[in-house]
Amino acid sequence: MDVLTHTQQFLAIAWWLALGVSVLLYIALDGADLGAGIFSLFVKDHDEKGAIMGAMAGTWDANETWLIVAGGILFGTFPFVYGSAFSYLMIPLALVLWGIMSRAVALEFHHLASPKWQRFSEWVFGLASLAVTFFGGMSVGAALQGFELDKPAVGVPHYVGGAFNFMSAFSVWTGIAACIAMTLSGVLFVRARFEKAEPIRQDAARWTAAIFWLAIASVLVTVVWSAAIFDWARAKWFGSHFWIWGLFGIVALICIDQVRRDTLKDKDLAAILWFNAAALILGVGMLFTMFPWLVPNTWTIWAGASPQVSMITFTMTMGGFLPVMIMYNWYQIWVFRGRVSKLVAYAGH
Amino acid sequence: MDGEALTSLITRIDFALISSLHILFPPLTIGLAALLLVSEALWLKTGKESWYRLCRFFEKLFIVNFGAGVATGVTMEMAFGILYGRFSQAAGPFFGQVLGYETITAFMYEAGFIGLMIFGWGKISRGMHLFATFNVAVSSTLSAMWILVANSWMQTPTGVEYRNGIFYVTDWLAALFNPNAIAAFPHMMLASFELSLCFVIAVCAWFVLRRRHVALFLTPLKYALAVLVVVAAAQIWLGDVLGEQTLESKPAALAAMEGHYNTNHPDGSVDTDWQIIGWPNAKGDGLAWSISVPHLLSVIETKTWNGPVTGLNSFPADQQPPVVLPFYSFRVMAAAGGAILLLALWGVWLRMRGKFTVDLAPTHKIFLAACVGVVALPYLAVVAGWWTREIGRQPWIVYGLMRTEDGMSAMSLGLAIFWLVGFAFFEICVIAGTFWFLLKVVRLGPDLETPIAGEGHEHLGELHVPASGHAEQPEYLRPV
Repeated sequence: MDVLTHTQQFLAIAWWLALGVSVLLYIALDGADLGAGIFSLFVKDHDEKGAIMGAMAGTWDANETWLIVAGGILFGTFPFVYGSAFSYLMIPLALVLWGIMSRAVALEFHHLASPKWQRFSEWVFGLASLAVTFFGGMSVGAALQGFELDKPAVGVPHYVGGAFNFMSAFSVWTGIAACIAMTLSGVLFVRARFEKAEPIRQDAARWTAAIFWLAIASVLVTVVWSAAIFDWARAKWFGSHFWIWGLFGIVALICIDQVRRDTLKDKDLAAILWFNAAALILGVGMLFTMFPWLVPNTWTIWAGASPQVSMITFTMTMGGFLPVMIMYNWYQIWVFRGRVSKLVAYAGH
Repeated sequence: MDGEALTSLITRIDFALISSLHILFPPLTIGLAALLLVSEALWLKTGKESWYRLCRFFEKLFIVNFGAGVATGVTMEMAFGILYGRFSQAAGPFFGQVLGYETITAFMYEAGFIGLMIFGWGKISRGMHLFATFNVAVSSTLSAMWILVANSWMQTPTGVEYRNGIFYVTDWLAALFNPNAIAAFPHMMLASFELSLCFVIAVCAWFVLRRRHVALFLTPLKYALAVLVVVAAAQIWLGDVLGEQTLESKPAALAAMEGHYNTNHPDGSVDTDWQIIGWPNAKGDGLAWSISVPHLLSVIETKTWNGPVTGLNSFPADQQPPVVLPFYSFRVMAAAGGAILLLALWGVWLRMRGKFTVDLAPTHKIFLAACVGVVALPYLAVVAGWWTREIGRQPWIVYGLMRTEDGMSAMSLGLAIFWLVGFAFFEICVIAGTFWFLLKVVRLGPDLETPIAGEGHEHLGELHVPASGHAEQPEYLRPV
């Protein structure tokens, strides 16, 4: 393996941050759609179920694409990680993909289907959202645990472990925790997107109150569990800069608390933004805890990076494409910002 | 066949399935987006309501197809790393970078504007909407460009150096503008337009045949047939250019496509026969039987009467691609391309004789039925073309540098079967659903009643509340 130049090492870190931004944007944007899908499993009224799907009709595709962007950055800049991690995560990723496929067609075909098939597509949409969230969360947990690579004398290390190595109590837990967090994000989305008088908004408020506590508990459990099993996390969190990590945690908890307060005050957009702030802080906290590992104890940022990261491609992407992308995504969300009623299900979205 | 060979075969079939089922959708997205742009622009320019109705109608078909394209496309991006992890690691510096650019500059670009195009009617201004449609057309074309550049590089890997299991890019321009891409990208673009024109022709012809909205659908039918003549002819020419390119860069693939085993006859004279059909012998070193036309192979490939074309037996046995599949899929593609051109010519001939009037057109039942049936041909041609291309490259994943089996992830037999069965199930559901809903939208026909969407903030009509419903339910106003 080659050693990167100083510029390349710097660029690899910048790409790593860009990867983090895409993943966090995905969690913030599509997370809400996924969570609303999980929530829809518990909604009885078919018009309301349809309206949840209708409320995201204009934006779900772009939201989901942030995951594809993250995949693209991983493949383009960290191909050694992409090729080995995806082999390691073969089974959970296959399940995520089946979920994404089912969800996409359920969303697109819902308004064309006959009533019987509309019911069916509502179930597919809900279950697929649950599957994507759970197995996606499980993949993250499994990645935190790292995986085995062979050590060839020359060339790239490959994944050599079995297909079921991703299974562990911890990875199952991160799957569950992802479902809890995304459901919270989903009910906040429902609150913000439905007209104030809609009954579903009141249901969503009750859910927020309950899931809020579950979300705090799952953050705490995940942190304690990580500290117990990951030496790299322990070393940072209980090292000489322990107070910085403590601060991260406290600020995150304050943000989550604000979610509840704003929901009670009917400030729906603020609640979503506080949730995203909490996700951002926890996500960034986790990224820096892992630093310099991209996959703990498996790939460092530099070992996983393509030997050909260059200033040209980086500048083109960050200076040109990414800002434009964020601009039109923002415009699109702005166009579809209005509140909807459950009757939206009738209007062919 | 031992376990390892079987696993390797199933892993190949896994990826073949994922890519074959994905390529059914993007060509229509690419071509139809451009046609939607044309009809929307014509509506804004001429003010004719018919163009607006056509645009909205075909847009409904577009979105059904698009959903399926996204569903199967996301799968493909992930499948590289999952099924071909070693290839992804080795080729990542170039191939991954190109796919990364595809997601950033095209996939995301398209996703951003497609929501506006489909759901933005009445919410954004007409100019902004046209701009959104324009961007969807441009971004889908960009997407095709990146994908074809990446795939063509696997066919003609220029500008790289393969060392220590990694492809290092030594010359970005040479890698991006590799020789195969120059012909393959236009070939795919024309295929997309040809497929979309056939799609539009089939839908329009069906309505004319059933005497529904004849006046509305006759105009696009006329235009599409006229454009198809040019596109289909150009496609045949481009296909030939790509064939010559293949002869130059991948002679073994061309020999397999043509079932051409020996450069010379046993008596030393050049073998110039073009096989119409044939079947390899048991030993696999020649054809057991064939029907052939002398000199045609030399004429097609070398543009001379007796020019030699390198036969398959000139390559070591372990570097020869399979013959039957590329041989027949190439012929299916070429025959489909020829048949499409004939149909287009038939249509133009009818038009020149003045048969395309509201009264006369529906009486040409055989022609209209042929127009409806023709939609199957471009789909067949696209899949067959990709099979020719990908199987012809074997046993290489990156031609001449990396063999396919060296690019695979380590996988057990059970896991390979799990993938095959799972993805076959989900993808077939996606395709069945797409086909069903395309038919349903066509059957329902265009919506000619709803008022034309304006510039936003408007009342979109009332919902009829069921008799048992609440009287106080407000009339529906789409929020903006």
